[in-house]
Amino acid sequence: MALKVRADRWFGRLRSFRELSTVRQRRRLNTLLLGYGLLAPAVILLIVFEFYPLFSGFWISLTNWRLAKGDYIGFANYARALSDPGFWKALGITFTYSIISVPLQLGIALLLAYLLFQKIHAMSFFRMLYFMPYVTSTVASAAIWAYLFSPDIGPINRLLQSMGLEGLRWLSETRGIFQIMAARVGVDLPAALAGPSLALISLIIYTTWVFVGYDTVLFLSGLSNIPAELYDAAKVDGASGWKLFRHITFPLLSPTTFFVVLITIIGTFKAFNHIYIMTRGGPGDATTTASIYIFNQMVTYNRYGYSAALSFLTFMVILLLTILQNKIAGNRVVYD
Amino acid sequence: MQLRTLPRVLVLLLVLALALTACQPTAPKGPDAEGGSEIDAIDLTGKNIEVVLWHNRSQSDQDLLQEMLDEFNASNPYGITARAEIGGASYNDVYNKINAAIQGGTPPNIAVAYQNQAALYRSQDAVIDLTPYINSTKYGLSAEDRADYFQAFLDSDANPQFQGEVLGFPTQRSLEVMYYNQDWLTELGYDAPPTTWEEFEEIACKAAQEDDKAGWALLHEASNFASQVFARGGRILSEDGTRYVFNEQAGQDALAMIQRMAANKCLVEIPVSERYGEQNRFANGDILFVFASSSGMNYYADAVAKAGGFKWAVAPLPQSGELHMNLYGASMSVFKTTPEQQLASWLVIKFLGEKEQTTRWAAKTGYLPVRASAKDDVIAALKANEKWASAADSYAMLFDWANAGMVESPVAGYDGVRALIDTDLISKVINDPNADVKALLDAAVVKADEILKENAPQ
Repeated sequence: MALKVRADRWFGRLRSFRELSTVRQRRRLNTLLLGYGLLAPAVILLIVFEFYPLFSGFWISLTNWRLAKGDYIGFANYARALSDPGFWKALGITFTYSIISVPLQLGIALLLAYLLFQKIHAMSFFRMLYFMPYVTSTVASAAIWAYLFSPDIGPINRLLQSMGLEGLRWLSETRGIFQIMAARVGVDLPAALAGPSLALISLIIYTTWVFVGYDTVLFLSGLSNIPAELYDAAKVDGASGWKLFRHITFPLLSPTTFFVVLITIIGTFKAFNHIYIMTRGGPGDATTTASIYIFNQMVTYNRYGYSAALSFLTFMVILLLTILQNKIAGNRVVYD
Repeated sequence: MQLRTLPRVLVLLLVLALALTACQPTAPKGPDAEGGSEIDAIDLTGKNIEVVLWHNRSQSDQDLLQEMLDEFNASNPYGITARAEIGGASYNDVYNKINAAIQGGTPPNIAVAYQNQAALYRSQDAVIDLTPYINSTKYGLSAEDRADYFQAFLDSDANPQFQGEVLGFPTQRSLEVMYYNQDWLTELGYDAPPTTWEEFEEIACKAAQEDDKAGWALLHEASNFASQVFARGGRILSEDGTRYVFNEQAGQDALAMIQRMAANKCLVEIPVSERYGEQNRFANGDILFVFASSSGMNYYADAVAKAGGFKWAVAPLPQSGELHMNLYGASMSVFKTTPEQQLASWLVIKFLGEKEQTTRWAAKTGYLPVRASAKDDVIAALKANEKWASAADSYAMLFDWANAGMVESPVAGYDGVRALIDTDLISKVINDPNADVKALLDAAVVKADEILKENAPQ
């Protein structure tokens, strides 16, 4: 009897454990279903608009796709790209564009942010003023700057001429800026010392004008996160001006600086719209950056497979630069 | 999501993405071009076929086009319904859209296309040879029709890359002409536009001596260069379409003149960012000569009138011998579908090429009609239009030059060569007065031939 009671109790426990376990499983299943159900729209969007184009693009890069589907050719497009002087030149121009643009933009933006962070009259107005180029349509502002740079009717040359100076060819000039300066004093510089073309410098001037306001806003938000008491304490210790900036502002702004440098470098490598509107990559190939080169390969030469391979190679370059930047600058960023 | 499930999800995403990649559509397949007699055998009665036509014109032109198509829809005995759609704001827009549509397997029935674009579509087996349709006894052109068409216009669509297949049919054309400021020319002491290149250079440089003035507007455009090569008796592509020949003497002379005139500041370079920059400068009286399409004549008349007005006219570019002009204007290409749809598409195009339609279209757009018999009606219509009346006399001269038209290069891949002509030739000589013209041309032709080979039919 006692054995039966014990057995019943044991089976009862087992039953309730099973029931409990089924309920738990059901609950767990429901939670999982709910979770995946909620994830589904985002996952579908990611598959359709991110992963599918990505894998599709990679697949195209392995074919000789032109207008219609091409044959599989393995990594031939990648091999071709690595031996294509046009692509290397375009990458070189992109690096030059980036190397000049990034420090110039960041330097001016930091200076402006520091000035605007002081208690000056009409500060909001100036903040808005510097940010306006960034929110202006690229097509419109690039077209206006192209007009400003026009060699014969552009206001910049008119101004130079009114001061008795010779007008420049700006966006139409393939010669390097050092070459132009040397030529003015009668020196003929070799091509290796010519420097970046004036056309590229003109684009950099435009890029700086557009993005300085955006970078300034980012720096301003970084500045506002620096505790005021640090400055007060430093001032009590006799620090002022440059010392405050060097030992407090600059280190504590490093997370913002790191972020701004990162997005600016990526931005310069992806730059396309204003270059296309202002120069189409010309004159000659003086402003043919990687993105313009890829676009031309696809649209002008109908080399869809090849341009896809070039896109992946450019992506690899950006990725490598980002990793490198993380390695170099990551340890120097002060988060607290 | 737990970390151990992440790889599974990524694998799932990868599989789905690859599956989607593998399911991409291919270009439509249809029967090959058939002979005229086989076309005759097709019966469209009761088929009620719908035809879609893509073009690049403005809304007001679209309205006229659809109005004409509505007349066709009401009058054709086969129940064909044609519909015009704006495929983009430029020929390139339409071209890019069609490229995407071919990949997606959804091209229209008919689209405007330059000869080289049609050749590219043909290399993808996407457009058809119209020869059997034109030759069809039942549906084709009569002997009177053929005699009425400008022969140069009809010839321009026969493609050497595809053994003379006719990959499009003309419903409009234009010519590259020289616009000149007649008042200014008279002031400079000349009573007629230049007829030789030496005279052209001399007058242009004389005009450029005035402050802020230039003798000639140089565009970063291959067609400008090609027009000069033709006028100097040369060609861009060999007649059989097997190699580029713009490095021959005519090309060398044309490029050397550009280089010389740039160095001597006789010309003004129009930046690529400035649309209609040459037209605006001409209208403002800042430029003496512009080489541009005759289809812009109405716009020139309008711009000059708005800017204050002066007497202007057009002439052929200076010539080195027999008259040769650059013939512009996209044709209508028919995409591969069913024999019935292809025939219905041909009938739509044929209708648009008839005298009445080509006259209305020319009077509205400024293009040349494709038939000689349309001349009087188009000119009368232009004269009756207050805005464009001043261009009517210049326009009338185009009819005498129409058969001197030559096509730049009707082969697939020419867009790449056009880009080369700007980047490797025009831009180089403008920026370097000491550049070796012959060496540049030879190098460009090597690259151009590589593009030709790359785009050759398989």
